[in-house]
Amino acid sequence: MRYTAKAMLLSGSALLSAGLLSLAPGSTAMAQEAIFVMPVRDVGAPSYNPILGTRLNAATTLIFDRMVIQDADQSFHGQLATSWETSADGLSWTFKLRPNVKFHDGEPFNAATIVWWLPKFLGTENAFMTDAIDKVDVIDNLTVKFTMKNPDPNMLFNMASSFMGIPSPKSFDQLGDKFGVTGAVGTGPFKLESFVVGQQTVLVRNDAYNSASDLSVNQGPAKLKKITLREIAEDSTAFLELKTGGVDMLLSVPTDFLPRLSTEKGTKVVTLRGTEVYYVVINTSVEPFTDIKVREATGFAINQKEILASLFGGVGEEAHTFLISGLAEAKVDPKLLIAYDPARSRKALDEAGWVMGSDGVRAKAGTRLQVKLWTQSGTEFKRITEVVQAQLKAVGIGTDITAFDAATITAQYRKKTEHQLAVRVYSWANADILDWFFAGKRAGHPNHSMWVNATSEALNEKAMKGSRTWDERVANFRAYHENLLSQFVFAPIYQPVQNFAYSQARITMPATVRGTRLQSQTIVDIEKK
Amino acid sequence: MVNFLIKRLVLLIPVFLVVSAIIFMIIHLVPGDPIDNIVQIGSTPQQKAALTAKYGLDKPLIVQYAIWLGKLMTGDLGEAIILRQPVSSLIAQNLPHSLILGSLALVFSTVVGIATGALAAICRDSWVDRWVMAVILLGSTVPSFWLGLLMILVFAVHLGWFPVSGARSWSALVLPVLTIGLGGVALVARVTRVAMMDISRRDFVMMLHAKGVPPWRINLQHILRHALLPVVTILSLRIGWILGGAVTIEYVFARPGLGSLLITSLNQRDYPVVQGCLLMLAIAVMLGTLLGDVVQALIDPRVRERTG
Repeated sequence: MRYTAKAMLLSGSALLSAGLLSLAPGSTAMAQEAIFVMPVRDVGAPSYNPILGTRLNAATTLIFDRMVIQDADQSFHGQLATSWETSADGLSWTFKLRPNVKFHDGEPFNAATIVWWLPKFLGTENAFMTDAIDKVDVIDNLTVKFTMKNPDPNMLFNMASSFMGIPSPKSFDQLGDKFGVTGAVGTGPFKLESFVVGQQTVLVRNDAYNSASDLSVNQGPAKLKKITLREIAEDSTAFLELKTGGVDMLLSVPTDFLPRLSTEKGTKVVTLRGTEVYYVVINTSVEPFTDIKVREATGFAINQKEILASLFGGVGEEAHTFLISGLAEAKVDPKLLIAYDPARSRKALDEAGWVMGSDGVRAKAGTRLQVKLWTQSGTEFKRITEVVQAQLKAVGIGTDITAFDAATITAQYRKKTEHQLAVRVYSWANADILDWFFAGKRAGHPNHSMWVNATSEALNEKAMKGSRTWDERVANFRAYHENLLSQFVFAPIYQPVQNFAYSQARITMPATVRGTRLQSQTIVDIEKK
Repeated sequence: MVNFLIKRLVLLIPVFLVVSAIIFMIIHLVPGDPIDNIVQIGSTPQQKAALTAKYGLDKPLIVQYAIWLGKLMTGDLGEAIILRQPVSSLIAQNLPHSLILGSLALVFSTVVGIATGALAAICRDSWVDRWVMAVILLGSTVPSFWLGLLMILVFAVHLGWFPVSGARSWSALVLPVLTIGLGGVALVARVTRVAMMDISRRDFVMMLHAKGVPPWRINLQHILRHALLPVVTILSLRIGWILGGAVTIEYVFARPGLGSLLITSLNQRDYPVVQGCLLMLAIAVMLGTLLGDVVQALIDPRVRERTG
């Protein structure tokens, strides 16, 4: 009996040791690679399938090239397309393709690839990006022509999306449902070596890479041989990994970490213009927010300047519209900007008949102006919401805060009349986000404002489907945006910046970070010291 | 003994059915919907409805449960809605990490817990006893999330002895094992101490003292040996905990495992994965309890007689 127990213990220990050893990578491999930490929002992204995927992470653009990519100034630059033109009526687009490009599996990229690729979107969740394309014709091996159902001036923006990364037809068809999970093959600067959801992605350099855009200094293969992109859900852990040399770069850093990072020797923080906007949802379908005066009062009670200074140390921008400030559609009539004006807020409440009570909360016909203020779990949300609560109280609007996790709050919005005010954030760099959040057909979720209005619907329809050129689209969306601002269907708060941080001792960054995000066009220029 | 084992196994069947129903209902009754995590900006309500139907989420809950249970009986845990992989393969990828972490934490808490508990019992009412019990009390009350961050700050950041996070080397296991294990040490030590003090008052111990057996031999060979029976019971109950207890620790240390998978899936309401993970944890608890019963029956014939 004793012998058996001892033998069992020994075999157990041996098994355990074998397990431990299998977890340890070779030290030589570690010396050759750069280790990045993905943005927290990318943690748990389930696949690298750009056609069927609905959530892609930061490594996607390293595996797949797109036809075009967008720079920070919103201009478009060719990647797999070298040039393009559209007809005067907007009903056709012709793209010239880059020659001599091969997928990681050795298959050629050419016009036939595009003919195979675009119909794959039919019936998928990403179909809206190609909906306007009626058919694709091959002009020659390196030229394709899209015939449109209707003009789509947003075509280049769509083509620059991560979801427009072009996969190898052969690998895509071979792997079927497993594409993006067990393998992912594109033409990008890195090949997928391994991927474990929620843990890490290992990429190795594509030595045959020749399709860099003019946003990259390096026009050949990437300088890094191998990149491990780790997924760390806890920001503090990621920060400590950078501090102790466990990783070389954090692809995203919360703004409230900046003071701590600025004191770290050898750590450099780079800031890019943001694509997010924090705002207060105002449910226009429930009392007291059916009254435009109360909505107006809510909007003008938010002190954006105070929030920017006190919560974010002045890093980022005040938000005065629904769209990020870099978009042309955000350049609205200054009279329509929603900026802190407590006098106007109080006046609006007075006009609506809400009288200040002795407890600092207004009342009308025996009803107190006490409303629900929802928010999401997370430090940043909590802090912003508490300040918003104090600012609303200052004009006589009392609020009760409830925090939900992201999935629960969405379910609550769907009930349509449960919420009154809610602090939210979105990330999108195109004016069509207005359609997503304010179109009547989406009332509840994602139209949390429950805004259903004939004039707004007509302006939205015109902007979405009636624009032939980019300029026309900008003008139409600006008109729609101004209409929404005039109706006070939301209250803008804050526009964060994007921050990333790296170890100066181990990483050399290019002088300028190009693009709207830190993506392949810049990463191919990064060197390991 | 065989009859005992069969009876215990048969009893597990209704327990399993009840647990599986509770798990299924809880996750489906929590507000939230996995389809919300799939739909893209620009999708139409019709596209969302089609997706809901595709995954059978439009059916009544009881029908969904029956379908899931039917598949479960054939060993099919289903396909992840968000992660788009078979749930069984996701669990197979993550379970070994949790098992290694949990097993080492259990070994650590057993060895250190018994040793400190025995030390406190032998030196009872001395400063050693008081000091050991005070540290144990502290260890059992500190939240593991906070303890994990403290461990990282001290041993990874300031001393640089271990990595901050991940599962890239054996040394990355040390801090999570200590963090989970310290909670267990407190429990095992307290049970060991109380049991040893109780046994030490028995007649046979007096007899051993009267016979002139050295105290160290009485303590280690006789008292501690008898005192291990309740410790074994406690440890068997903690076998389920070695998987479930690591949930927050895997999150803090960014380690793969059932806990990380569960949190990721729960945030996205990926029902099949959440159900699969919770079921694994429930099975671990049930098997742990069964193992505890079997070990107790092996050690103590009275248990066999009572239930056999």
